[in-house]
Amino acid sequence: MTASAGISPVGQLRRLGMHRRWRQLNAESRWGLVILALILVLSVSVPLLSPNDPYEFVDLPLQVPSAAFPFGTDHLGRDLLVRVFAAARLDIALAVLGVSVPIVIGTFIGTLAGTTRNRIAETVWDGLVNALTAFPEIILVLGIVAMVGADVRGLLIAIWISRWAQYARIARAKSLALRDAEFVQAAQVLGYSQLRILIRHIMPNVFSEALAYALSDFIFIIVIIGGLSFLGLGVTPPTPEWGAMLAEGRLYLRTEPWLILFPGFFLSMTAIGVALLAQGLERINKGEDE
Amino acid sequence: MRQHARSKKRGTQRASRPKQPNVRGERDGQTYQTGSALCPSGRPRSPLSSFLTPDMTASLGSLADRTLRLLRHPVMRRLAQAFFVAFLLMVFAFLLIRLIPGDPAMILLGDSATEEDVIAYRKLLGIDGSIPSQFGRYVSNLARGDFGISIRSREPILSIVQKRLPVSLWLTATTIFMTVVLALPLGVAAALYRRTWFGHAFQIGASVLVATPVFFSGLLLILLFAVQINFAPIAGYQAGFPANLYYLWLPALTINFVLVPVLARILQSSIVETAAEEFVEAAVIRGTQGWRFYWRYLLRPSLAPTIAALGYFAATVVSYAVIIEIIFNLPGIGMTLVDAVRNRDYPLVQGIVFLSGLLVVGLTFFADLVNGWLDPRVKIR
Repeated sequence: MTASAGISPVGQLRRLGMHRRWRQLNAESRWGLVILALILVLSVSVPLLSPNDPYEFVDLPLQVPSAAFPFGTDHLGRDLLVRVFAAARLDIALAVLGVSVPIVIGTFIGTLAGTTRNRIAETVWDGLVNALTAFPEIILVLGIVAMVGADVRGLLIAIWISRWAQYARIARAKSLALRDAEFVQAAQVLGYSQLRILIRHIMPNVFSEALAYALSDFIFIIVIIGGLSFLGLGVTPPTPEWGAMLAEGRLYLRTEPWLILFPGFFLSMTAIGVALLAQGLERINKGEDE
Repeated sequence: MRQHARSKKRGTQRASRPKQPNVRGERDGQTYQTGSALCPSGRPRSPLSSFLTPDMTASLGSLADRTLRLLRHPVMRRLAQAFFVAFLLMVFAFLLIRLIPGDPAMILLGDSATEEDVIAYRKLLGIDGSIPSQFGRYVSNLARGDFGISIRSREPILSIVQKRLPVSLWLTATTIFMTVVLALPLGVAAALYRRTWFGHAFQIGASVLVATPVFFSGLLLILLFAVQINFAPIAGYQAGFPANLYYLWLPALTINFVLVPVLARILQSSIVETAAEEFVEAAVIRGTQGWRFYWRYLLRPSLAPTIAALGYFAATVVSYAVIIEIIFNLPGIGMTLVDAVRNRDYPLVQGIVFLSGLLVVGLTFFADLVNGWLDPRVKIR
């Protein structure tokens, strides 16, 4: 339905992980992993190793990138390098938090809806999920943020409320196919309770597919966190966050473009790294290349 | 020639079918006898029965049979579903204002407010009385076209939207036009040169562009076109048809950094699929060349998914327009919404969320219709 959904991988991520070795990945997923690993390492090490604090004013404002300040200083004289990577920590952590809650809730609700045989529940279900996915995403998130509060808490709640439906859709489709599977019948014959069958037998099988979608959802969520902070409705300025830094640096676009180039570059690289990984995995699953 | 191409695509086992418009297509991979006087369940054919699937006829009782007959028509079913979704949108928009922790009137007025002020404000927000009566009032107001009043400007929300909507619609139209112009040649080229360096560059470039956030690519484009070479205004808007394009082309290009790669990829994969068909091979053997070959045998049979995707894209643009309008300072719906969120103008937020949801439901409905009409194999549901 959306542009970002166009690149959703449908395969199984589980086959990566421990089971697949590095040389079995294709070029795209390798590049994705390298980019992500690099950003993660830098985001951990730079704020630890640098003598400068991301909140502290260390030198003259708006300095050109130099040996002392590789990314220059921002409009208040803070070290942009430290701020960019402190922001990486926050953004990645928020995005992981934003992905992980909807995937659990969505998968559970979707599995529940997929295994029920109640026709009315199915109809209501279809309408509910369609209604949620019918909203333009950013507008729905904005609407919820407006009501809950324009801060990090409001942003996360808005993402949780608006993103579970896609996972529920995937989970329902998969569990519809699974509810008549032989291993489920076997569990029923053994007399296990419905809930146990749901959680122990069906959900693990549904989860792998939801995880594959989570990669492309991660891109969307990290962009929306940045986007809302850019609009001043998420993480607010003194805190280092890529979107908020872009909004601040935007005022100096004419004269000091590096203020937006560095945060924007690393935000994009994170999203691109995940996108390459997702696309590579999808192609491996389709069996297009080794 | 076109008929020939289509029936080839469908597969050969249906070649003996009598000539009639193909409105049904195959459903769930089953094909059933279409020429006989009886539909699969054994009942006589009604005009509508050509839209029935076997499982639908079998599972419904006789009473439901009569009442739901209209809904069997895929278009009617889709319409009913759209209305149901619109109703849920309304419920959701209604609940939105009730999501606010605490009393909205107290939040807006502060602690120093008098009792009368709070009561008057509650009335303005439509949150006085019991929840069912609030909902009843909300629905009847909506039915009369009354979406409430903005708390800030005290202006009816509908008139605010009417004032701001044209900018957003122009942005959407310009964007979609640009998407088509850019994605068609790119998709065709990416399909034809798939195995060369261009194809690989396209794959990588598309992933990179899709993942780049619009608020970053927008700033980069401003830096390039407005600051460096002075080719576009940095921001602002001017109404009126030819003049506004000067202000709209850069925002539209920014959104297209996301849309064009996606559409070009859809087109590429459907052309690659078409190219493997027998009728393309036959055309090559017959010696068909040049434009005639590319248009008739490659592009036209592959267009259905692309055109359908365009409809869904219009909905995506509505979403991206929020951020784009802020970056480029376009006074459209998105900017109104962000201002309303900043000002805690709850009724305005509620109204815009509901109306844009409706817009998207409508656009998606039409996209589904067009999709079903272009490619009957797609099951409208």
